[in-house]
Amino acid sequence: MNTRPSSTLLEQAGRNLKGKTVVITGATSGIGLAATKIMAGYGAFVIGIGRSEQKCRMAETEIRELHADAKIAYLTADLSLLREVRKLAEKIKETVHKEGNDCIDVLVNNAGTFACWYISTEEGFELQFAVNYLAPFLLTYELLPLLKAASTGRIINLSSGSHYRTKIRWNDIMMRKHYNCLMAYKQTKLANVLFTAELNRRLGKYHRSNKTQDSCINIRAFVVDPGLVNTQIGFKGTTGIVKWIWKMRSQRGIEPEEAASTIIYLAGDPNVLNSQEIYWKNCHPLKPSKYSQREDVALRLWEMTEQMCGIRWEN
Amino acid sequence: MESYVLITGATGGLGKAFAVECAYRGWNLFLTDLSEEHLCCFATSLMNTYAVRVIYSPCDLTDAAERQKLLSHIRSCNISFSALINVAGLDYEGLFSDRSPEQIRTLIRLNIEANLEITAEILKLRNRIKPFRIINVASLAAYYSMPLKAMYAASKRFLLSFSMALREELRPYGVTVTTLCPAGLPTTPECIKAIERQGFAGIITTKNVGYVAAKTIDHALKGHAVYIPGKLNQLLRFFSSFIPSVVITRFIGSRWQRAGENKLQKPEHLIWNLWRKTEGVT
Repeated sequence: MNTRPSSTLLEQAGRNLKGKTVVITGATSGIGLAATKIMAGYGAFVIGIGRSEQKCRMAETEIRELHADAKIAYLTADLSLLREVRKLAEKIKETVHKEGNDCIDVLVNNAGTFACWYISTEEGFELQFAVNYLAPFLLTYELLPLLKAASTGRIINLSSGSHYRTKIRWNDIMMRKHYNCLMAYKQTKLANVLFTAELNRRLGKYHRSNKTQDSCINIRAFVVDPGLVNTQIGFKGTTGIVKWIWKMRSQRGIEPEEAASTIIYLAGDPNVLNSQEIYWKNCHPLKPSKYSQREDVALRLWEMTEQMCGIRWEN
Repeated sequence: MESYVLITGATGGLGKAFAVECAYRGWNLFLTDLSEEHLCCFATSLMNTYAVRVIYSPCDLTDAAERQKLLSHIRSCNISFSALINVAGLDYEGLFSDRSPEQIRTLIRLNIEANLEITAEILKLRNRIKPFRIINVASLAAYYSMPLKAMYAASKRFLLSFSMALREELRPYGVTVTTLCPAGLPTTPECIKAIERQGFAGIITTKNVGYVAAKTIDHALKGHAVYIPGKLNQLLRFFSSFIPSVVITRFIGSRWQRAGENKLQKPEHLIWNLWRKTEGVT
Protein backbone atom coordinates (compact mmCIF):
# COMPACT_ATOMS: atom_id res chain seq x y z
CA MET A 1 0.00 0.00 0.00
CA ASN A 2 2.90 2.29 0.79
CA THR A 3 3.19 3.89 -2.62
CA ARG A 4 6.20 6.14 -2.81
CA PRO A 5 5.51 9.58 -4.23
CA SER A 6 7.15 10.13 -7.58
CA SER A 7 10.39 12.00 -7.14
CA THR A 8 9.92 14.19 -10.20
CA LEU A 9 6.65 15.54 -8.80
CA LEU A 10 8.35 16.26 -5.50
CA GLU A 11 11.25 17.93 -7.27
CA GLN A 12 8.86 20.14 -9.15
CA ALA A 13 6.95 21.03 -5.99
CA GLY A 14 10.20 21.77 -4.21
CA ARG A 15 11.51 24.04 -6.94
CA ASN A 16 8.22 25.89 -6.84
CA LEU A 17 8.96 26.81 -3.25
CA LYS A 18 11.93 28.99 -4.17
CA GLY A 19 11.40 32.48 -2.83
CA LYS A 20 8.15 31.54 -1.09
CA THR A 21 7.47 32.40 2.54
CA VAL A 22 6.62 29.42 4.71
CA VAL A 23 5.56 29.34 8.37
CA ILE A 24 5.85 26.01 10.10
CA THR A 25 5.09 25.22 13.74
CA GLY A 26 6.84 22.53 15.74
CA ALA A 27 9.90 22.98 13.57
CA THR A 28 12.52 21.85 16.05
CA SER A 29 12.02 18.10 15.85
CA GLY A 30 10.35 15.28 13.98
CA ILE A 31 8.35 15.99 10.84
CA GLY A 32 8.54 19.76 11.30
CA LEU A 33 12.32 19.81 11.40
CA ALA A 34 12.56 17.50 8.38
CA ALA A 35 10.15 19.68 6.37
CA THR A 36 12.01 22.83 7.39
CA LYS A 37 15.31 21.36 6.19
CA ILE A 38 13.91 20.36 2.82
CA MET A 39 12.07 23.63 2.21
CA ALA A 40 15.05 25.72 3.25
CA GLY A 41 17.14 23.62 0.90
CA TYR A 42 14.87 24.56 -2.00
CA GLY A 43 15.35 28.24 -1.21
CA ALA A 44 12.12 29.05 0.58
CA PHE A 45 12.12 31.58 3.40
CA VAL A 46 11.08 29.42 6.34
CA ILE A 47 9.88 30.79 9.66
CA GLY A 48 10.10 27.93 12.12
CA ILE A 49 8.25 27.97 15.43
CA GLY A 50 9.49 26.08 18.47
CA ARG A 51 8.78 26.12 22.18
CA SER A 52 12.26 26.06 23.61
CA GLU A 53 14.80 28.73 22.73
CA GLN A 54 17.63 26.24 23.00
CA LYS A 55 16.07 23.68 20.64
CA CYS A 56 15.38 26.46 18.14
CA ARG A 57 19.03 27.46 18.16
CA MET A 58 20.07 23.83 17.74
CA ALA A 59 17.72 23.30 14.81
CA GLU A 60 18.91 26.52 13.20
CA THR A 61 22.58 25.54 13.35
CA GLU A 62 21.74 22.09 12.08
CA ILE A 63 20.02 23.53 9.02
CA ARG A 64 22.71 26.13 8.41
CA GLU A 65 25.30 23.37 8.40
CA LEU A 66 23.31 21.58 5.69
CA HIS A 67 22.48 24.66 3.63
CA ALA A 68 24.81 27.56 4.33
CA ASP A 69 22.69 30.07 2.44
CA ALA A 70 19.36 28.93 3.91
CA LYS A 71 16.88 31.69 4.65
CA ILE A 72 15.41 30.69 7.99
CA ALA A 73 14.21 32.42 11.13
CA TYR A 74 13.19 30.71 14.32
CA LEU A 75 10.60 32.17 16.70
CA THR A 76 9.68 30.80 20.10
CA ALA A 77 6.15 30.43 21.42
CA ASP A 78 4.25 28.12 23.73
CA LEU A 79 1.39 27.09 21.48
CA SER A 80 -0.67 25.72 24.37
CA LEU A 81 -1.68 29.29 25.25
CA LEU A 82 -3.94 31.33 23.01
CA ARG A 83 -2.39 34.60 24.14
CA GLU A 84 1.02 33.27 23.10
CA VAL A 85 -0.41 32.30 19.72
CA ARG A 86 -1.66 35.88 19.31
CA LYS A 87 1.73 37.28 20.25
CA LEU A 88 3.38 34.83 17.90
CA ALA A 89 1.19 35.98 14.99
CA GLU A 90 2.40 39.53 15.57
CA LYS A 91 6.01 38.38 15.65
CA ILE A 92 5.52 36.43 12.43
CA LYS A 93 4.04 39.47 10.71
CA GLU A 94 7.01 41.55 11.83
CA THR A 95 9.48 38.96 10.59
CA VAL A 96 7.73 38.74 7.23
CA HIS A 97 7.75 42.52 6.81
CA LYS A 98 11.39 42.74 7.85
CA GLU A 99 12.22 40.32 5.07
CA GLY A 100 10.55 42.72 2.64
CA ASN A 101 7.52 40.52 1.98
CA ASP A 102 3.87 41.26 2.59
CA CYS A 103 2.45 37.78 2.33
CA ILE A 104 2.77 34.21 3.56
CA ASP A 105 2.48 31.50 0.93
CA VAL A 106 2.31 28.44 3.13
CA LEU A 107 1.28 27.90 6.75
CA VAL A 108 2.02 24.45 8.13
CA ASN A 109 0.28 23.76 11.43
CA ASN A 110 2.50 20.87 12.33
CA ALA A 111 3.03 21.15 16.10
CA GLY A 112 1.31 18.45 18.07
CA THR A 113 1.59 16.86 21.44
CA PHE A 114 0.39 13.97 23.53
CA ALA A 115 -0.41 13.84 27.25
CA CYS A 116 -1.21 10.84 29.39
CA TRP A 117 -3.00 12.78 32.08
CA TYR A 118 -5.59 15.47 31.87
CA ILE A 119 -3.50 18.62 32.09
CA SER A 120 -5.17 21.97 32.02
CA THR A 121 -3.36 24.93 30.47
CA GLU A 122 -3.25 28.29 32.21
CA GLU A 123 -6.29 29.25 30.18
CA GLY A 124 -8.27 26.24 31.33
CA PHE A 125 -8.10 24.16 28.15
CA GLU A 126 -6.96 20.58 27.97
CA LEU A 127 -3.34 20.50 26.80
CA GLN A 128 -3.72 18.26 23.74
CA PHE A 129 -6.85 20.09 22.64
CA ALA A 130 -5.10 23.44 22.99
CA VAL A 131 -1.90 22.51 21.16
CA ASN A 132 -3.26 20.18 18.49
CA TYR A 133 -6.44 21.99 17.63
CA LEU A 134 -6.97 25.47 19.15
CA ALA A 135 -3.52 26.77 18.24
CA PRO A 136 -3.84 25.92 14.52
CA PHE A 137 -7.31 27.44 14.47
CA LEU A 138 -6.26 30.73 16.01
CA LEU A 139 -2.93 30.98 14.18
CA THR A 140 -4.69 30.45 10.85
CA TYR A 141 -7.22 33.11 11.78
CA GLU A 142 -4.52 35.59 12.71
CA LEU A 143 -2.40 34.95 9.62
CA LEU A 144 -5.26 34.71 7.12
CA PRO A 145 -4.88 38.28 5.79
CA LEU A 146 -1.26 37.54 4.87
CA LEU A 147 -2.20 34.20 3.34
CA LYS A 148 -4.89 35.82 1.25
CA ALA A 149 -2.36 38.34 0.00
CA ALA A 150 -0.24 35.57 -1.53
CA SER A 151 -0.66 34.53 -5.15
CA THR A 152 -1.50 31.06 -3.89
CA GLY A 153 -2.01 30.67 -0.16
CA ARG A 154 -1.94 27.20 1.33
CA ILE A 155 -2.76 26.06 4.84
CA ILE A 156 -1.55 22.60 5.77
CA ASN A 157 -2.84 21.00 8.95
CA LEU A 158 -1.56 17.78 10.39
CA SER A 159 -4.04 15.05 11.18
CA SER A 160 -3.55 11.33 11.24
CA GLY A 161 -5.21 8.02 10.68
CA SER A 162 -6.34 8.21 14.28
CA HIS A 163 -9.14 10.55 13.18
CA TYR A 164 -11.05 7.54 11.84
CA ARG A 165 -13.60 5.81 14.05
CA THR A 166 -14.11 8.61 16.50
CA LYS A 167 -16.59 11.39 17.16
CA ILE A 168 -16.67 14.77 18.80
CA ARG A 169 -17.87 14.51 22.40
CA TRP A 170 -20.05 17.56 22.51
CA ASN A 171 -20.98 17.44 26.17
CA ASP A 172 -17.42 17.30 27.36
CA ILE A 173 -15.22 18.23 24.45
CA MET A 174 -12.02 18.35 26.50
CA MET A 175 -12.87 15.09 28.27
CA ARG A 176 -12.50 16.63 31.67
CA LYS A 177 -14.54 13.92 33.32
CA HIS A 178 -13.49 10.78 31.56
CA TYR A 179 -10.13 11.55 30.12
CA ASN A 180 -8.52 8.97 27.95
CA CYS A 181 -5.30 10.14 26.36
CA LEU A 182 -5.68 8.22 23.12
CA MET A 183 -9.34 9.19 22.69
CA ALA A 184 -8.46 12.82 23.39
CA TYR A 185 -5.69 12.66 20.80
CA LYS A 186 -7.97 11.06 18.23
CA GLN A 187 -10.55 13.73 18.79
CA THR A 188 -8.10 16.59 18.23
CA LYS A 189 -7.01 15.01 14.97
CA LEU A 190 -10.63 14.63 13.89
CA ALA A 191 -11.19 18.26 14.84
CA ASN A 192 -8.33 19.23 12.54
CA VAL A 193 -10.01 17.53 9.58
CA LEU A 194 -13.36 19.15 10.39
CA PHE A 195 -11.65 22.52 10.76
CA THR A 196 -9.89 22.18 7.41
CA ALA A 197 -13.06 21.15 5.60
CA GLU A 198 -15.04 24.05 7.05
CA LEU A 199 -12.19 26.45 6.32
CA ASN A 200 -12.26 25.42 2.67
CA ARG A 201 -16.01 25.95 2.49
CA ARG A 202 -15.59 29.43 3.92
CA LEU A 203 -12.64 30.31 1.71
CA GLY A 204 -14.64 29.14 -1.29
CA LYS A 205 -17.51 31.41 -0.34
CA TYR A 206 -15.11 34.31 0.22
CA HIS A 207 -13.64 33.67 -3.17
CA ARG A 208 -17.01 33.53 -4.95
CA SER A 209 -18.20 36.75 -3.34
CA ASN A 210 -15.02 38.62 -4.27
CA LYS A 211 -14.45 37.45 -7.79
CA THR A 212 -17.10 37.69 -10.45
CA GLN A 213 -15.18 35.47 -12.81
CA ASP A 214 -15.03 31.79 -11.99
CA SER A 215 -11.24 31.80 -11.89
CA CYS A 216 -9.30 29.23 -9.91
CA ILE A 217 -9.32 29.54 -6.18
CA ASN A 218 -6.08 30.98 -4.85
CA ILE A 219 -6.20 29.83 -1.25
CA ARG A 220 -6.88 26.36 0.09
CA ALA A 221 -6.41 24.25 3.17
CA PHE A 222 -5.24 20.64 3.28
CA VAL A 223 -4.80 17.93 5.86
CA VAL A 224 -1.77 15.70 5.89
CA ASP A 225 -1.81 12.21 7.30
CA PRO A 226 1.86 11.39 7.92
CA GLY A 227 1.16 7.80 8.90
CA LEU A 228 3.21 6.17 11.63
CA VAL A 229 6.42 8.18 11.90
CA ASN A 230 9.48 7.62 14.04
CA THR A 231 9.30 10.85 16.09
CA GLN A 232 9.36 11.90 19.71
CA ILE A 233 5.62 12.60 20.08
CA GLY A 234 5.02 9.53 22.26
CA PHE A 235 7.62 10.72 24.76
CA LYS A 236 6.00 14.09 25.46
CA GLY A 237 4.21 14.16 28.79
CA THR A 238 3.74 10.44 28.99
CA THR A 239 4.31 7.92 31.72
CA GLY A 240 6.74 5.04 31.52
CA ILE A 241 4.45 2.46 30.05
CA VAL A 242 3.29 4.65 27.17
CA LYS A 243 6.88 5.61 26.45
CA TRP A 244 7.74 1.96 26.26
CA ILE A 245 4.88 1.16 23.88
CA TRP A 246 5.77 4.12 21.70
CA LYS A 247 9.42 3.08 21.63
CA MET A 248 8.38 -0.32 20.26
CA ARG A 249 5.78 1.09 17.87
CA SER A 250 7.67 4.04 16.45
CA GLN A 251 10.54 1.82 15.29
CA ARG A 252 8.24 0.42 12.64
CA GLY A 253 7.31 3.92 11.49
CA ILE A 254 8.74 5.74 8.51
CA GLU A 255 11.42 8.39 8.89
CA PRO A 256 10.37 12.03 9.38
CA GLU A 257 11.97 13.02 6.05
CA GLU A 258 9.68 10.66 4.22
CA ALA A 259 6.64 11.89 6.12
CA ALA A 260 7.56 15.48 5.30
CA SER A 261 7.37 14.84 1.56
CA THR A 262 3.57 15.12 1.54
CA ILE A 263 3.91 18.54 3.17
CA ILE A 264 6.43 19.63 0.52
CA TYR A 265 4.18 18.32 -2.23
CA LEU A 266 1.10 20.16 -0.96
CA ALA A 267 3.09 23.31 -0.30
CA GLY A 268 4.66 23.50 -3.73
CA ASP A 269 2.69 21.58 -6.34
CA PRO A 270 1.01 24.00 -8.79
CA ASN A 271 -1.94 21.77 -9.65
CA VAL A 272 -2.97 20.74 -6.18
CA LEU A 273 -4.90 23.97 -5.61
CA ASN A 274 -7.50 22.96 -8.15
CA SER A 275 -8.05 19.63 -6.49
CA GLN A 276 -11.17 19.16 -4.42
CA GLU A 277 -9.42 16.64 -2.19
CA ILE A 278 -8.44 17.74 1.30
CA TYR A 279 -7.00 14.64 2.98
CA TRP A 280 -3.56 13.53 1.74
CA LYS A 281 -1.24 10.71 2.57
CA ASN A 282 1.99 9.86 0.72
CA CYS A 283 1.17 12.62 -1.80
CA HIS A 284 -2.07 10.88 -2.72
CA PRO A 285 -5.58 11.93 -1.79
CA LEU A 286 -7.40 9.65 0.60
CA LYS A 287 -10.96 9.61 1.81
CA PRO A 288 -11.26 11.01 5.32
CA SER A 289 -13.83 9.53 7.69
CA LYS A 290 -17.51 10.11 6.86
CA TYR A 291 -18.06 11.89 10.14
CA SER A 292 -15.31 14.38 9.37
CA GLN A 293 -17.08 15.43 6.18
CA ARG A 294 -20.36 16.29 7.87
CA GLU A 295 -21.07 20.00 7.45
CA ASP A 296 -23.30 20.30 10.51
CA VAL A 297 -20.62 18.85 12.77
CA ALA A 298 -17.94 21.10 11.29
CA LEU A 299 -20.10 24.20 11.70
CA ARG A 300 -20.95 23.39 15.30
CA LEU A 301 -17.30 22.79 16.15
CA TRP A 302 -16.30 25.97 14.34
CA GLU A 303 -18.74 28.13 16.28
CA MET A 304 -17.68 26.50 19.54
CA THR A 305 -14.02 27.17 18.77
CA GLU A 306 -14.71 30.78 17.83
CA GLN A 307 -16.26 31.25 21.24
CA MET A 308 -13.29 29.63 22.98
CA CYS A 309 -10.83 31.85 21.13
CA GLY A 310 -13.02 34.90 21.59
CA ILE A 311 -13.01 35.69 17.87
CA ARG A 312 -15.53 35.98 15.09
CA TRP A 313 -14.38 34.80 11.68
CA GLU A 314 -15.75 37.14 9.06
CA ASN A 315 -15.36 36.34 5.41
CA MET B 1 -27.45 40.88 43.63
CA GLU B 2 -25.64 38.24 41.65
CA SER B 3 -24.33 35.04 43.13
CA TYR B 4 -20.72 34.00 42.77
CA VAL B 5 -18.51 31.06 43.64
CA LEU B 6 -15.27 31.98 45.39
CA ILE B 7 -12.29 29.78 44.56
CA THR B 8 -8.94 30.21 46.31
CA GLY B 9 -5.83 28.81 44.66
CA ALA B 10 -7.70 29.15 41.40
CA THR B 11 -4.80 28.96 38.96
CA GLY B 12 -3.29 25.79 40.39
CA GLY B 13 -4.10 22.42 38.89
CA LEU B 14 -7.12 21.52 41.01
CA GLY B 15 -8.28 25.13 41.28
CA LYS B 16 -8.39 25.44 37.50
CA ALA B 17 -10.37 22.23 37.23
CA PHE B 18 -12.90 23.51 39.77
CA ALA B 19 -13.18 26.86 38.02
CA VAL B 20 -13.73 25.25 34.63
CA GLU B 21 -16.34 22.89 36.07
CA CYS B 22 -18.23 25.74 37.77
CA ALA B 23 -18.08 27.87 34.64
CA TYR B 24 -19.33 24.94 32.59
CA ARG B 25 -22.32 24.78 34.93
CA GLY B 26 -22.92 28.46 34.28
CA TRP B 27 -21.89 29.81 37.68
CA ASN B 28 -20.23 33.20 38.07
CA LEU B 29 -16.77 33.09 39.58
CA PHE B 30 -14.62 35.08 41.95
CA LEU B 31 -11.05 33.81 41.63
CA THR B 32 -8.04 34.47 43.76
CA ASP B 33 -4.45 33.29 43.65
CA LEU B 34 -0.96 34.74 43.81
CA SER B 35 -0.29 35.89 40.27
CA GLU B 36 -2.38 38.61 38.69
CA GLU B 37 -1.10 37.73 35.23
CA HIS B 38 -2.23 34.10 35.45
CA LEU B 39 -5.57 35.09 36.93
CA CYS B 40 -6.21 37.61 34.19
CA CYS B 41 -5.38 35.18 31.42
CA PHE B 42 -7.50 32.42 32.95
CA ALA B 43 -10.46 34.69 33.69
CA THR B 44 -10.55 36.09 30.16
CA SER B 45 -10.52 32.62 28.72
CA LEU B 46 -13.34 31.45 31.01
CA MET B 47 -15.48 34.46 30.15
CA ASN B 48 -15.06 33.80 26.43
CA THR B 49 -15.56 30.08 26.55
CA TYR B 50 -18.39 29.72 29.01
CA ALA B 51 -20.03 33.17 28.90
CA VAL B 52 -20.05 33.63 32.68
CA ARG B 53 -18.98 36.58 34.80
CA VAL B 54 -15.53 36.23 36.31
CA ILE B 55 -14.01 38.60 38.87
CA TYR B 56 -10.47 38.08 40.06
CA SER B 57 -8.24 39.59 42.66
CA PRO B 58 -4.66 38.49 43.37
CA CYS B 59 -3.82 37.88 47.02
CA ASP B 60 -1.08 36.24 49.04
CA LEU B 61 -3.30 34.37 51.48
CA THR B 62 -0.45 33.75 53.93
CA ASP B 63 -0.35 37.48 54.68
CA ALA B 64 -3.05 38.64 57.11
CA ALA B 65 -3.00 42.22 55.82
CA GLU B 66 -3.43 41.08 52.23
CA ARG B 67 -6.29 38.84 53.28
CA GLN B 68 -8.02 41.81 54.86
CA LYS B 69 -7.52 43.77 51.66
CA LEU B 70 -9.01 40.93 49.63
CA LEU B 71 -12.01 40.63 51.93
CA SER B 72 -12.72 44.34 51.87
CA HIS B 73 -12.43 44.25 48.10
CA ILE B 74 -14.95 41.41 48.03
CA ARG B 75 -17.34 43.35 50.27
CA SER B 76 -17.01 46.43 48.07
CA CYS B 77 -18.03 44.41 45.02
CA ASN B 78 -21.50 44.14 46.51
CA ILE B 79 -22.03 40.55 45.50
CA SER B 80 -23.29 37.46 47.28
CA PHE B 81 -21.87 33.98 47.25
CA SER B 82 -23.48 30.63 46.57
CA ALA B 83 -20.39 28.53 47.18
CA LEU B 84 -16.85 28.65 48.50
CA ILE B 85 -14.13 26.29 47.32
CA ASN B 86 -10.97 26.41 49.44
CA VAL B 87 -8.27 24.94 47.24
CA ALA B 88 -5.20 26.95 48.24
CA GLY B 89 -2.73 24.85 50.19
CA LEU B 90 0.89 23.81 50.07
CA ASP B 91 3.22 21.06 51.07
CA TYR B 92 6.94 20.92 51.87
CA GLU B 93 8.21 17.40 51.49
CA GLY B 94 11.09 16.20 53.59
CA LEU B 95 12.14 15.90 57.20
CA PHE B 96 10.47 18.20 59.67
CA SER B 97 13.84 18.98 61.22
CA ASP B 98 14.89 20.53 57.89
CA ARG B 99 12.05 23.07 57.90
CA SER B 100 12.80 26.71 58.54
CA PRO B 101 10.59 28.75 60.90
CA GLU B 102 9.40 30.71 57.87
CA GLN B 103 8.26 27.53 56.11
CA ILE B 104 6.45 26.34 59.22
CA ARG B 105 4.59 29.62 59.53
CA THR B 106 3.72 29.73 55.83
CA LEU B 107 2.23 26.25 55.85
CA ILE B 108 0.10 26.86 58.93
CA ARG B 109 -1.01 30.23 57.66
CA LEU B 110 -2.05 29.03 54.25
CA ASN B 111 -3.45 25.59 54.99
CA ILE B 112 -5.27 26.53 58.20
CA GLU B 113 -5.44 30.23 59.07
CA ALA B 114 -6.36 31.54 55.62
CA ASN B 115 -8.88 28.78 55.06
CA LEU B 116 -10.72 29.47 58.32
CA GLU B 117 -10.71 33.22 57.99
CA ILE B 118 -11.99 33.21 54.43
CA THR B 119 -14.69 30.70 55.36
CA ALA B 120 -15.89 32.83 58.27
CA GLU B 121 -16.06 36.00 56.19
CA ILE B 122 -17.65 34.52 53.09
CA LEU B 123 -20.33 32.83 55.22
CA LYS B 124 -21.54 36.32 56.11
CA LEU B 125 -21.84 37.21 52.45
CA ARG B 126 -23.71 34.08 51.40
CA ASN B 127 -26.82 34.20 49.32
CA ARG B 128 -29.52 33.25 51.80
CA ILE B 129 -32.10 32.21 49.24
CA LYS B 130 -30.16 29.15 48.15
CA PRO B 131 -28.25 26.47 50.03
CA PHE B 132 -24.63 27.56 50.49
CA ARG B 133 -21.93 25.04 49.60
CA ILE B 134 -18.48 24.93 51.11
CA ILE B 135 -15.86 22.61 49.65
CA ASN B 136 -12.63 22.21 51.58
CA VAL B 137 -9.79 20.46 49.86
CA ALA B 138 -8.02 18.18 52.32
CA SER B 139 -6.24 15.04 51.22
CA LEU B 140 -6.22 11.32 51.78
CA ALA B 141 -3.30 12.29 54.00
CA ALA B 142 -5.90 13.63 56.45
CA TYR B 143 -6.57 10.06 57.57
CA TYR B 144 -2.98 9.10 58.24
CA SER B 145 0.10 10.46 59.91
CA MET B 146 2.70 10.79 57.22
CA PRO B 147 6.43 10.83 57.88
CA LEU B 148 8.18 13.28 55.54
CA LYS B 149 4.86 15.09 55.09
CA ALA B 150 4.20 15.48 58.80
CA MET B 151 2.97 19.08 58.86
CA TYR B 152 0.99 18.73 55.67
CA ALA B 153 -0.87 15.60 56.79
CA ALA B 154 -1.59 17.14 60.17
CA SER B 155 -2.90 20.37 58.65
CA LYS B 156 -5.17 18.38 56.38
CA ARG B 157 -6.41 16.37 59.37
CA PHE B 158 -7.21 19.69 61.03
CA LEU B 159 -9.26 20.72 58.01
CA LEU B 160 -11.12 17.44 57.88
CA SER B 161 -11.99 17.54 61.56
CA PHE B 162 -12.97 21.19 61.39
CA SER B 163 -15.12 20.69 58.30
CA MET B 164 -17.04 17.81 59.84
CA ALA B 165 -17.85 19.89 62.91
CA LEU B 166 -18.73 22.97 60.90
CA ARG B 167 -21.05 20.90 58.76
CA GLU B 168 -23.07 19.92 61.81
CA GLU B 169 -23.10 23.45 63.19
CA LEU B 170 -24.38 24.96 59.98
CA ARG B 171 -26.80 22.27 58.93
CA PRO B 172 -29.89 24.11 60.21
CA TYR B 173 -28.94 27.15 58.11
CA GLY B 174 -28.87 25.38 54.78
CA VAL B 175 -25.09 25.34 54.54
CA THR B 176 -23.31 22.17 53.50
CA VAL B 177 -19.63 21.46 54.03
CA THR B 178 -17.94 18.82 51.89
CA THR B 179 -14.35 17.73 52.34
CA LEU B 180 -12.46 16.42 49.36
CA CYS B 181 -9.82 13.84 50.25
CA PRO B 182 -7.96 12.90 47.06
CA ALA B 183 -4.85 10.78 46.70
CA GLY B 184 -2.19 12.18 44.36
CA LEU B 185 -3.52 14.41 41.61
CA PRO B 186 -1.63 14.76 38.34
CA THR B 187 -1.82 18.53 38.04
CA THR B 188 1.68 19.69 37.21
CA PRO B 189 4.68 17.97 35.63
CA GLU B 190 6.28 17.82 39.11
CA CYS B 191 3.21 16.11 40.58
CA ILE B 192 3.15 13.65 37.71
CA LYS B 193 6.79 12.83 38.30
CA ALA B 194 6.11 12.37 42.02
CA ILE B 195 3.24 10.02 41.24
CA GLU B 196 5.37 8.08 38.81
CA ARG B 197 8.07 7.83 41.45
CA GLN B 198 5.55 5.98 43.60
CA GLY B 199 5.36 3.36 40.89
CA PHE B 200 2.39 1.19 40.09
CA ALA B 201 0.48 1.98 43.29
CA GLY B 202 0.85 5.70 42.59
CA ILE B 203 -0.67 5.38 39.15
CA ILE B 204 -3.67 3.24 40.07
CA THR B 205 -4.64 5.40 43.05
CA THR B 206 -4.54 8.53 40.90
CA LYS B 207 -7.62 10.07 39.31
CA ASN B 208 -7.57 12.86 36.79
CA VAL B 209 -8.36 16.35 38.08
CA GLY B 210 -11.28 17.13 35.81
CA TYR B 211 -13.11 14.05 37.01
CA VAL B 212 -12.36 14.81 40.64
CA ALA B 213 -13.59 18.40 40.36
CA ALA B 214 -16.84 17.42 38.64
CA LYS B 215 -17.57 14.61 41.10
CA THR B 216 -16.74 16.77 44.11
CA ILE B 217 -19.27 19.37 43.04
CA ASP B 218 -21.88 16.65 42.53
CA HIS B 219 -21.22 15.44 46.07
CA ALA B 220 -21.31 18.96 47.47
CA LEU B 221 -24.69 19.57 45.83
CA LYS B 222 -25.97 16.46 47.58
CA GLY B 223 -24.54 17.72 50.87
CA HIS B 224 -22.20 14.80 51.47
CA ALA B 225 -19.60 15.18 54.22
CA VAL B 226 -16.55 13.59 52.65
CA TYR B 227 -15.63 12.58 49.14
CA ILE B 228 -12.68 10.28 48.46
CA PRO B 229 -12.15 9.92 44.70
CA GLY B 230 -11.66 6.41 43.41
CA LYS B 231 -13.13 3.13 44.63
CA LEU B 232 -9.67 1.77 45.41
CA ASN B 233 -8.84 4.74 47.62
CA GLN B 234 -12.16 4.33 49.42
CA LEU B 235 -11.38 0.66 50.04
CA LEU B 236 -7.87 1.48 51.24
CA ARG B 237 -9.29 4.05 53.61
CA PHE B 238 -11.89 1.60 54.91
CA PHE B 239 -9.55 -1.33 55.55
CA SER B 240 -6.79 0.80 56.97
CA SER B 241 -9.14 1.90 59.73
CA PHE B 242 -8.80 -1.60 61.24
CA ILE B 243 -5.02 -1.44 61.36
CA PRO B 244 -3.23 0.26 64.27
CA SER B 245 -2.06 3.71 63.24
CA VAL B 246 1.48 3.01 64.44
CA VAL B 247 1.76 0.24 61.87
CA ILE B 248 0.31 2.34 59.08
CA THR B 249 2.56 5.26 59.85
CA ARG B 250 5.61 3.04 59.72
CA PHE B 251 4.48 1.54 56.41
CA ILE B 252 3.86 4.96 54.84
CA GLY B 253 7.20 6.18 56.11
CA SER B 254 9.07 3.35 54.43
CA ARG B 255 7.12 3.91 51.20
CA TRP B 256 7.97 7.60 51.01
CA GLN B 257 11.55 6.78 51.84
CA ARG B 258 11.81 4.34 48.97
CA ALA B 259 9.90 6.62 46.59
CA GLY B 260 12.41 9.34 47.41
CA GLU B 261 15.24 6.98 46.53
CA ASN B 262 13.42 5.92 43.36
CA LYS B 263 13.36 2.24 44.28
CA LEU B 264 9.69 1.41 43.82
CA GLN B 265 8.64 -0.87 41.03
CA LYS B 266 7.33 0.89 37.95
CA PRO B 267 4.67 -0.57 35.65
CA GLU B 268 6.96 -0.89 32.66
CA HIS B 269 9.42 -2.82 34.83
CA LEU B 270 6.60 -5.08 35.98
CA ILE B 271 5.64 -5.82 32.39
CA TRP B 272 9.24 -6.14 31.32
CA ASN B 273 9.98 -8.64 34.09
CA LEU B 274 6.83 -10.58 33.31
CA TRP B 275 7.76 -10.71 29.64
CA ARG B 276 11.27 -11.82 30.45
CA LYS B 277 9.94 -14.63 32.60
CA THR B 278 7.44 -15.90 30.04
CA GLU B 279 9.79 -15.60 27.08
CA GLY B 280 12.71 -17.02 28.97
CA VAL B 281 14.87 -14.01 28.11
CA THR B 282 17.68 -13.32 30.48
